[in-house]
Amino acid sequence: MSGSASLKSTYTPAPEHRFKVGDKVVVKTAHPPGHRRTPQYIRGKQGVIERICGAYPNPEELAYGFDGKPERVLYRVRFFQTHVWTGYAGPANDIIEMEIYEHWLDPAGAQS
Amino acid sequence: MSGTPHDHYASGHDDQAHDHDHDDHKPVNEHDDGPPGEYEIMSRAMQELLEQKGIITAEQVTKRMEQFDEEFPYHGGQVVARAWVDPAFKQRLLADGRAACAEMGAMLEAERLIAVENTPQVHNVIVCTLCSCYPRALLGMPPTWYKSRNYRSRVVFEPRSVLREFGTVLPDNVTVRVHDSNADMRYLVVPMRPAGTEGWSEEKLAGILSRDTLVGVTVPRLPA
Amino acid sequence: MKTIPSDIGGEPAGPVDTIDHGMRHWERQANAFRSVVQLKKITCTDELRRAAEELGGRYKDMQYFEITTSAVRKVLIEKGMFTEQQLQAKMAEIRARFNVPDEIESPLKTAAKK
Repeated sequence: MSGSASLKSTYTPAPEHRFKVGDKVVVKTAHPPGHRRTPQYIRGKQGVIERICGAYPNPEELAYGFDGKPERVLYRVRFFQTHVWTGYAGPANDIIEMEIYEHWLDPAGAQS
Repeated sequence: MSGTPHDHYASGHDDQAHDHDHDDHKPVNEHDDGPPGEYEIMSRAMQELLEQKGIITAEQVTKRMEQFDEEFPYHGGQVVARAWVDPAFKQRLLADGRAACAEMGAMLEAERLIAVENTPQVHNVIVCTLCSCYPRALLGMPPTWYKSRNYRSRVVFEPRSVLREFGTVLPDNVTVRVHDSNADMRYLVVPMRPAGTEGWSEEKLAGILSRDTLVGVTVPRLPA
Repeated sequence: MKTIPSDIGGEPAGPVDTIDHGMRHWERQANAFRSVVQLKKITCTDELRRAAEELGGRYKDMQYFEITTSAVRKVLIEKGMFTEQQLQAKMAEIRARFNVPDEIESPLKTAAKK
């Protein structure tokens, strides 16, 4: 899987990003009410930053008619399926990837 | 990996079961039978109210319907066929999908397009578990199954079983890479070009790139 | 802990019906109308997603275009594009148009047959 992960991205620069490609991260376990784009099933799971998608208006604010500023850095995070689902039936190298905004991520090992 | 790429994709269906693949671009009914439902009346009413306020016109809505029917469903196949014949274009597509599609006149609504390439080692499949995000400007409207509860719920945790239901059987040495299109990116699968298509025109290649192959639930096959 | 009715990834569910059943005519209108409303920047994807989620317990029993149409309705009313009363009045007007007896051709039916 290293081949596609090393792809150079030309996406919106996000110079202030907290994480870099390859960093291990944990998705926050939190259940705030409101519009969230972090699926329930991935909260609390550990993965690796696959790419930095850029900075975008915060969808949690846009959803209620606000302008979404300041923009938030969006990452694609890669997870091993066996780390996401107890008893995943497929081989250990199967993966799932999705987009997670920076404020939903903690460095792995730093979560309380 | 050794051997030809398509050794991986044993088919769980016979060809008959795949006939629906060829119906991707079939025109839809011009009008519905029976009396209008509540939501049909609601949607028409909203359109008329906005027309009366001069905010939109009926022509704009009709034009959009035509684009969704006649234009958008073909873009994805055209883009990937170009990528198959033009390695430099493929690199641009993989690096920045939105810009590469714009080169070919396909303008995405979404912020970004991430094109993901199938290889002998990796098979990609797309879902949106939270709603039904989909690269509409490239593939038209999502098919019924893409919007279904069963697909959205299951493909994230048992992708191989779901793929098998589409007739796509993958051996364990091929990594299945599921993409949950959960926020602002949209995704397009770049399938492997089948052997036996050498010298084909882009148009002919686009003919085997059905919508289902570009979402990753099936792989392109030569016509029997 | 599930707070969003559309957040269904990982739930057990049945086999996938792999046939595309296409779209009905009204669904094509509803989709194109929604798209034009977004092109005009009257609303955005995130607002429509949020409005769909606010259907709450009704979400799981509704069809896709019923959900999207309900979301458009909610957002357009929030934004003051029309009131609930204006929408109800317009819907009554359209319902009456559809109720024109068959021997008198409804303008709407004539348009649909073209």
